[in-house]
Amino acid sequence: MITLTSLPLAEADQEFLDKVIAQRGGRPGALLGILGKAQDHQPRKFLPRETLEYIAAKTDTPLARIFSVVTFYALFNLEPQGKNTICICRGTACHTRGSRELLESLMFKLGFHDPDDEMADKISLNTNDGKYTIRTVACFGQCALAPVVEVNHEVYGHMNEQTLQRELEHLGRETAKK
Amino acid sequence: MSQAVRVITLTMDGREISARGDQTVLQVARENNMYIPTLCHLTGLARVGSCRLCLVEVKGINKLLPACVTRVEEGWEVSLNSERLSKYRKSILELLFSERNHVCAVCVSNGHCELQTLAQTLGMTHVHFAYRYPRLAVDGSHDRFVVDHNRCILCTRCVRVCDEIEGAHTWDLLGRGVNAQVITDLNQPWGESDTCTGCGKCINVCPTGALVEKGKSVREMTKQRQFLPYLTLMRERRW
Repeated sequence: MITLTSLPLAEADQEFLDKVIAQRGGRPGALLGILGKAQDHQPRKFLPRETLEYIAAKTDTPLARIFSVVTFYALFNLEPQGKNTICICRGTACHTRGSRELLESLMFKLGFHDPDDEMADKISLNTNDGKYTIRTVACFGQCALAPVVEVNHEVYGHMNEQTLQRELEHLGRETAKK
Repeated sequence: MSQAVRVITLTMDGREISARGDQTVLQVARENNMYIPTLCHLTGLARVGSCRLCLVEVKGINKLLPACVTRVEEGWEVSLNSERLSKYRKSILELLFSERNHVCAVCVSNGHCELQTLAQTLGMTHVHFAYRYPRLAVDGSHDRFVVDHNRCILCTRCVRVCDEIEGAHTWDLLGRGVNAQVITDLNQPWGESDTCTGCGKCINVCPTGALVEKGKSVREMTKQRQFLPYLTLMRERRW
């Protein structure tokens, strides 16, 4: 069941959305761009209920249509995202090189224990402390470097549990510093 | 009708037929009392060609064409009911049956369900695929209506009738692929929807028992669709 997160819309955010809608509104396909901008503008990179309702009202788009669009495209998040995003490739090449084990160990370390999650085609999980987001992707197109893991939009090849653990510790220190 | 519409001739299942160039294969077939099974198509609503049951074969074209969205062309030799087509259609129906929980015996639409009727007409005797048995919700929060996702086949007739005829666009689809589902507004309970006018058009266009009226027995739950051609006609004339 997909649920929305509630977060009141500040006045500055409203002004930002008004500007984006004024720039892009009215053209076919404008909704995707507006939603994308709204999500990027949000510090936790997600779309709260109030934002969706505001965009719907301002662009004369039915609520159901907006919800349909944000659930169809994987790039839209409806939950607050972690400070660090770790994205594990589950493509064929990475799978044969052990990406399943990488994913399992990462999920275990970050406190996810639901085997259903591990079996799902697509994962997008957030830790409760708001530090990490785990995602899976079908292929990065870097199969020669399998298994591939993307950490905060940087691609790392030939990963194993030790290197991933090191990366995780590094991220932990960096996040603590901030 | 535009001025440039030509009259063309084609053959359907060996019969010579003349038709207007702006007609679809399905329209021509129906005008000539020839049967093509359909599920997502409903006259008066936008054509989406998503159920693929109306696929037909045209000589010289390798792929199968959906009759509801394909315009006829001069000299086509169309076959509507070949062995290949009947095999495909049965497979499509089997996939529809295996995808959710279609249990006719306990369904309020038993006896007037389009999915059931098609399975009988096309001679689908059993399902070769493993049933998925998904655990899906039944939303009875609306005063008068119920949506049972277990019986939904995602034909999007409700989405289209609500958007095009009623103008409310309360319905839409959530997600994609196996996770797709019809939703009201922001995926909230139907009863809490602000946009739903309670007109009941979605109930009447639903081909299965997914959308039904509360408190109606099987016999009472027959679909009333006279409003659709009537409203389409009236709106064209803008009265």
